[in-house]
Amino acid sequence: MTYVALAYSFIWGAVFTYVLLVGRRVARIDAEIEEIRQRVKPGA
Amino acid sequence: MLSTMPPARKSRALFLVGLLLTMHGFFVVPLLVAHAPLEKTMGIVQKIFYFHVPCAWLLMLSTFVCAGGSLAYLFRGSEPGDRLALCSAELGVLFGLCVMVTGPLWARAAWGVFWTWDVRLTSSLLLWLMLIAYGLARRYGGAGGRRLAAAMALFAAADVPLVYLSVNLWRGLHPSTKTVSSLAPGMRLPFFFSLAIFSALWGVLLALRMRVERAQAHLVEVAIAVEDAEGSSS
Repeated sequence: MTYVALAYSFIWGAVFTYVLLVGRRVARIDAEIEEIRQRVKPGA
Repeated sequence: MLSTMPPARKSRALFLVGLLLTMHGFFVVPLLVAHAPLEKTMGIVQKIFYFHVPCAWLLMLSTFVCAGGSLAYLFRGSEPGDRLALCSAELGVLFGLCVMVTGPLWARAAWGVFWTWDVRLTSSLLLWLMLIAYGLARRYGGAGGRRLAAAMALFAAADVPLVYLSVNLWRGLHPSTKTVSSLAPGMRLPFFFSLAIFSALWGVLLALRMRVERAQAHLVEVAIAVEDAEGSSS
């Protein structure tokens, strides 16, 4: 039972970590978009 | 229906579908697996099979998709093909890691060792390492890194039939490809349900990851255009 639970937990842990990493990339892109927006803002 | 949606709504819809699939995968699959009949010789450890095989299937699918995208990039210079290859290689590494962890857990209970140099195990490890090498070549390969990685993806795809057929060609310890077709009736529903959920989750993750990669490429174009505009105005 321990091995089954370990296998199951590992898979979902790995998928969850991957989604978090993709989320971090999205946050970085958002920050870069904001930076460009500030640069092209009239009067900047 | 998704193709006619505006991009922001499409992302939200994809996210919701992904969330729904993940919840299904997290709660429904283990419930079905728990109620599946016990295998006579292995007992409860055999239930790892319901997660291990879908992950192995996704490792192979990711490699084929990566090779398809790489072919489009190598011969037609297709940037979307290159992005598809990168995203599917990432998913291949993710699900390959799951295969490399769940397999040894099963092996420890079935064979008494976590690892043995059986042809199926060795060729699977090689496939996974090739996908990791693909990512490393792209990241650290310099100017020609993307082309080098694309060529490596083709070699990785050539390994897939070897991985699949190895259990029939060289009878080792690993169960043969006939295991799925010879499943007891009570095991079929949980297995195919698990396979469907994992495959759908893979599709959603790939679509999401592709959107991030597209946004990144678009952002680079905009940043260059802004710098050009600033340079010409000063």
